[in-house]
Amino acid sequence: MRVSQMFYLYRRLYVQQLKAILEYNKDFYILMCSAALTQVLGFVFLWVIYDRIPDINGWQFWEVTFMYAMIFVTEGIGSLFFEGTWRMSRLVNLGEMDRYLLRPVPVVLQVFCTGIGINGLGNLLIGGVIIGQSLVHGNVHWTPGKILIILLLLITAVIIRVAINLAANSAAFWIKNAGNAFPLMVHNLADLAKYPLSLFPQAVRVFVSTVLPYAFISFYPATYIFGKSGWSGWWMLAPVAALGSMAAAYGIFRFGLSRYESTGN
Amino acid sequence: MSIIEARGLTKSFVQAVKEPGLKGALKHLVTPRNITKVAVHPLDLSIETGETVAYVGPNGAGKSTTIKMLSGILKPSGGSISVNGINPYKKRMENAARIGAVFGQRTQLWWDIPIVESFSLLKDIYQIPDPVYRNNLEQFIELLGMNEFIHLSARKLSLGQRMRADLAAALLHNPPIVYLDEPTIGLDVSVKQKIREFIKKINHEQQTTVMLTTHDLGDIEDLCRRLIIIDHGRIIYDGSLSEVKSRFARSRIIFFQVGSPMPELFAELNRTPGIRFTLQNDQEFSVAFDRYEYTASDVVSRVMRHGEVIDFRMEDANIEQVIKAVYDGNLDLNQQAQ
Amino acid sequence: MSAISLKKYRSIANRSLQNVLAYRTSYVIGFLANTVNLLAIYFLWQGIYSGRSDVAGYSWDQMKTYLLVTFLANSVLSWYSETSISGKILDGSVAMDLLKPLDFQSARFSETLGASLLEGGMSAVLLTLFASFLSGITLPHSPLVYVLFILSLICAILVKFGVVYLAALLCFWSTGSLGIVWTRIAVTNLLSGALVPLAFFPDWLERLALWLPFQSIIHTPTMIFLQQAGTAESLNLIALQAFWGLVLWFAGKAMWNWAVRQVTIHGG
Repeated sequence: MRVSQMFYLYRRLYVQQLKAILEYNKDFYILMCSAALTQVLGFVFLWVIYDRIPDINGWQFWEVTFMYAMIFVTEGIGSLFFEGTWRMSRLVNLGEMDRYLLRPVPVVLQVFCTGIGINGLGNLLIGGVIIGQSLVHGNVHWTPGKILIILLLLITAVIIRVAINLAANSAAFWIKNAGNAFPLMVHNLADLAKYPLSLFPQAVRVFVSTVLPYAFISFYPATYIFGKSGWSGWWMLAPVAALGSMAAAYGIFRFGLSRYESTGN
Repeated sequence: MSIIEARGLTKSFVQAVKEPGLKGALKHLVTPRNITKVAVHPLDLSIETGETVAYVGPNGAGKSTTIKMLSGILKPSGGSISVNGINPYKKRMENAARIGAVFGQRTQLWWDIPIVESFSLLKDIYQIPDPVYRNNLEQFIELLGMNEFIHLSARKLSLGQRMRADLAAALLHNPPIVYLDEPTIGLDVSVKQKIREFIKKINHEQQTTVMLTTHDLGDIEDLCRRLIIIDHGRIIYDGSLSEVKSRFARSRIIFFQVGSPMPELFAELNRTPGIRFTLQNDQEFSVAFDRYEYTASDVVSRVMRHGEVIDFRMEDANIEQVIKAVYDGNLDLNQQAQ
Repeated sequence: MSAISLKKYRSIANRSLQNVLAYRTSYVIGFLANTVNLLAIYFLWQGIYSGRSDVAGYSWDQMKTYLLVTFLANSVLSWYSETSISGKILDGSVAMDLLKPLDFQSARFSETLGASLLEGGMSAVLLTLFASFLSGITLPHSPLVYVLFILSLICAILVKFGVVYLAALLCFWSTGSLGIVWTRIAVTNLLSGALVPLAFFPDWLERLALWLPFQSIIHTPTMIFLQQAGTAESLNLIALQAFWGLVLWFAGKAMWNWAVRQVTIHGG
């Protein structure tokens, strides 16, 4: 199937899903506001702390808020456009994957459009404002090249986030009827990347740079943007991390799918 | 080569053996014990283009598992399959484009959007050319009587409506093969009839190969010429439906309506071996007989000797009895066939 | 309440405990997830304290203790209990509960206590492990403090239940619980002192927080455990917790009555 055809189908399936949500799930603005509120309160937490102290390990307020917001924004994009990964345990345990396997469309594409997390919009909105403010108030030396690289880092960040979600949710093929517990735990590990990596022991640093490369979503981009010495150059591995996690996630998903047993007789 | 061809096809599932309680769970974590459950024993199958095949068996016999392997959903544990000349699991998407499927208990439609929009999504998914789509849609709406509900979403449909919409959805792209798993389960007679007519028409006009699993024997008698019976994951019969009937369904019933009561006939028939006589009322009765011992004309002429026959109709024994006997283990088809 | 009716609710608590056991895989994983959060927060605070001996009146040793106590208080009455109440309302099984000769609120509270017992137990084990690796945890010496702490922890469960229950009842007017639960968690975490001790807040925010019931959930138990309050003051604080617990309990009752009336009207 051609890539353009896949984009077209994704859009068609997505829009249909959106219509259904707008019609049946009147709750979406509550979700949106609660996501936004959660983020604002997280921001308040950082603000309260920085009100007492000037820096943490040499990291200024706006630098940390940037990292914090990157984790939330990528999560928001994940909810908004790839929420279906979180429905995987249902698709597998109730045998609903059958339907996807019967269609001449890549299964992963259909999984992506299984749902839409409108709450992502709240994340995106507040997170976007915080990132914007961080870039304005933080000490950034702007050049056209830098803007380009920041855009690239944003894209790799989203890819990494979605890939990890996909891989973690593929656990549904192995762990039966455990709900979303395992992927939620993996998701929570992103907390480790909300704050400067230098706070953590070596093992944690390696872990969030390799096994679950959350650090390439927030920390490494921050070191580049704010010109942190001591970490220079590491951000360049972001595309590698993105491609690597994408390939690994897709591999895990495919392998899981080959174990799919459907249900019933 | 046949359109569906399977050689030594088998599927087994690995099941964890867990002892109950927390202790059992911990024990399983350390030393996992698994048993392998064979759902389908090596089976051979070949189905030709345009055939209508009933694939029947009791619950848990391996029907759905076979269908799911043939349609590319499940990966076989062993053996080979070729559907439309390709391996349905390895070339899943290619295969999916050329089959249609209705799984009775589960809809292929989108729950929250109008049926007509589901169809238009399927048009894009299967890349159906405009004229084909328009033509099929128009025809299907008419044949299946979908006008009244085409603008409702699947969640609002009754079971019968949903099943019709599902059937249409499975056939919009003119697949050469269609798998129907319990397509009439829980439906009332008129909807069943509509669905059967529709399947017959598609099979007849487009040479669509139909593979049908069902518990409804009416479906089988109405639609299929070939019958495959599976039990405990093994095929125990594969042959023509009429052969099964002629071999194993020996009884035939004639219902009579006569001008006046016939007490002498009643007495005579009751004495004849191989004939069972049931009186409905004075002027209506039925005669059941072994079709290899008596012919229908024998029976009719006997009755006519005793008076005027106003009307009669004949009914062959239902395939139901045969299959029920097999399910219950009272009949071994292969042995008797020899 | 007579002995017989108490027995009824005890068996509900018992069943709830078994339920948690039945979902142990998800439960254990969920618990691990919380532990990860604790680790992240721990290292963040370690960074905050590096090169500083005192922030907002808390020493690093006190802060470590604060974090562990917060974790314990937060882990009882977890996600599981919270979503099971709203779940009952959303999937309509609340109608079945209306038919039973049980008070809905008491039944849910019994369930919560049953689950909390296990959750609290597991957290206590984990915390003991954790604490044995850390140096400088300030444990109180006087047994009286422990008695007061446990009392205040029980009151904290009552208050938290009150908040959770009120939030869950909101589901009578919505189609999903996620948004409500998230909001509830965000607000509670900030205003109870779960994220950061209330002493870190600017003056106006601290005063506001102390006027609200949320502080009973985390702030009060930690104060007692860290011996920032004397015996007399501790007893006062526990009385305040109990006061909030009762206010929320009756608010829950009132809201339940109102909600059920509304639902009955809707149902025709």
